[in-house]
Amino acid sequence: MLAQATVNGILLGGLYGLATVGFSMVWGVMGVINLAHTAFITLGAYVTYVLFERYGIDPLLSMPLAMATMFVLGYGIQRLILNHVIRTSLLLSLVVTFGIELILTDATVLIFTSDVRSVNASYASTSVAVFGTLVPLVRLLAAGLSLALGIGFFVFLRRASLGQAILATALDREMSNLMGINPQKVFALTAGAGAALAGAAGSLSSMLFPVSPTMGVSFLAAVFVITVLGGIGSVEGCIVAGFLYGLVQAWAAYWLGTSLQEIVAFAMFLGVLVVRPQGLFGRAFFGEHA
Amino acid sequence: MSEAAVLEQGAKAATVRPLVWAAVAIGLLVLCAAPLGISSYWLRVLTTVLMYVIVTQGLNVIVGITGYHAFGNGVFFGIGAYACGTAMVAGLPFVVGIALAIVVSAVCAFILGWPILRLKGHYFAIATVALNLAAVQIIIQIGGITGGAQGLALPLSDWDPKPLYIALYYLMLGGAVASTAIVAILLKRPLGFALRAIRDSERAAAVMGINTTKAKVCAWAISAGLTGFAGGVWAYWITFIEPSSAFDPAVGVKAYIMLIIGGMGSILGPVIGAFVLEIVSTLVWSGFLKAHQLILGLLIVVVCIVAPNGIINAFARLVRSVRSNDGAA
Repeated sequence: MLAQATVNGILLGGLYGLATVGFSMVWGVMGVINLAHTAFITLGAYVTYVLFERYGIDPLLSMPLAMATMFVLGYGIQRLILNHVIRTSLLLSLVVTFGIELILTDATVLIFTSDVRSVNASYASTSVAVFGTLVPLVRLLAAGLSLALGIGFFVFLRRASLGQAILATALDREMSNLMGINPQKVFALTAGAGAALAGAAGSLSSMLFPVSPTMGVSFLAAVFVITVLGGIGSVEGCIVAGFLYGLVQAWAAYWLGTSLQEIVAFAMFLGVLVVRPQGLFGRAFFGEHA
Repeated sequence: MSEAAVLEQGAKAATVRPLVWAAVAIGLLVLCAAPLGISSYWLRVLTTVLMYVIVTQGLNVIVGITGYHAFGNGVFFGIGAYACGTAMVAGLPFVVGIALAIVVSAVCAFILGWPILRLKGHYFAIATVALNLAAVQIIIQIGGITGGAQGLALPLSDWDPKPLYIALYYLMLGGAVASTAIVAILLKRPLGFALRAIRDSERAAAVMGINTTKAKVCAWAISAGLTGFAGGVWAYWITFIEPSSAFDPAVGVKAYIMLIIGGMGSILGPVIGAFVLEIVSTLVWSGFLKAHQLILGLLIVVVCIVAPNGIINAFARLVRSVRSNDGAA
């Protein structure tokens, strides 16, 4: 049983990590705590649900579409709303994104109602053996793809010139501006990429969890804990902290019971904040100083 | 606030002050007389507005004056509600319940403040959000006298509903006046100066000999006490509380938005912010039952883009720009 819980925890942790990468990046690069991030996860899941239900498109195939949709949404919101707000006060972004979250969630309820839906791919009930435990195939796929996307984003930041522009802006906004990088565009790009990754996480979790307008909010605690644990703005930190978080949650559920899971999460969060606020891999990103 | 703005404000204050006092006096008179002439629906709306005045003034102490953005300050609203609720279920009178609501909230802020107020900027803001979310789970876990996830029904008053609601209205009004007075007095006391020094530069304040940790913790305790009072009265008014309603993060967030609308760190700003947002959102609520969250969200976004420094400042800026345009023409 413990082995089963451990494997499940680690696999879920991969998905949690992916759900967090975008949030952490946006916080690290521009100091915006995006409370609407969970709504992007929900919307990503609904894109997959609609494509699956209407057109019978496999969730794994619709994931890029969900990512593209969320990229456009994240990019647009940053350009039209957030770029104006962060010029005045960074903490105002908390309020604005709370408002955006209300809008997106209420719009989801109005369009799709609050009914709980599900995405059942043909391979949903298949299981595979991992280290002597039986694991649902979809969980393994979700964890594997999450890890691949996380690593892909990490490489994008280091290798692609657009990625390097993001990192440069995160490290020193004024200097990167002098090098000819337009921060407004970099912010929008970062927000778009963050939303796209959240959309991917939502798309993957639609295979694992029931799809409802509040499904994204259930990621909120995980997203906060993993961001802080991994170090704000650190992709590799997010991935490692995601697995760690999944493991701790699984063990907490195993030994203490599921009702104490969330308290363990918040205790972890406050503990990390007080003891090591820069997290495991934290660096002097912009969000650190804000 | 820049030096020029402070000087300009000082010069203006001399001419504006009598007008403000007159407005405050008229406003208070209207509010005192209001229960005689309004329906029970609007009595409820006004009681909610006054409750938010108290919560926003509480937030003003820690956010507006001290510069620590306690985004999850609603946690003390819930603590106050539960302190009052459990005390009354245990058979204690309402007055004791309210006293406990204030004391327990302030003590919680005092204890939590030592580790958490060391955090800066975003980290502090997020830590308070985590406290708010964790409190829901903690109440559910404690169970027993708090009622856990099932919620807690407070003993009913033996008063008739109408006079009871009017009495609670006056209690909220008294709380709103008292909390505004506390903010006004605090700004004139050494502690108020210390807190504003911390807001502008914590390191400089420490160098000048201010015990910053003590000042910050005191500020948060005052803030929590005010918020806890509002929560306690709310619990008795609503008579049934549950973790998700008492610790609703929207309480703290709404107060934060009211503070933005009114202008941070001012004395009357929170009052104006509470009236504007609550009455507008009540009207919106009754107009768009299905999409009220959506409209509230839109309202928040518009306020933040158009008037990030408060509507009074935005209005003043508008007037100035209109005037300078006239001069140019």
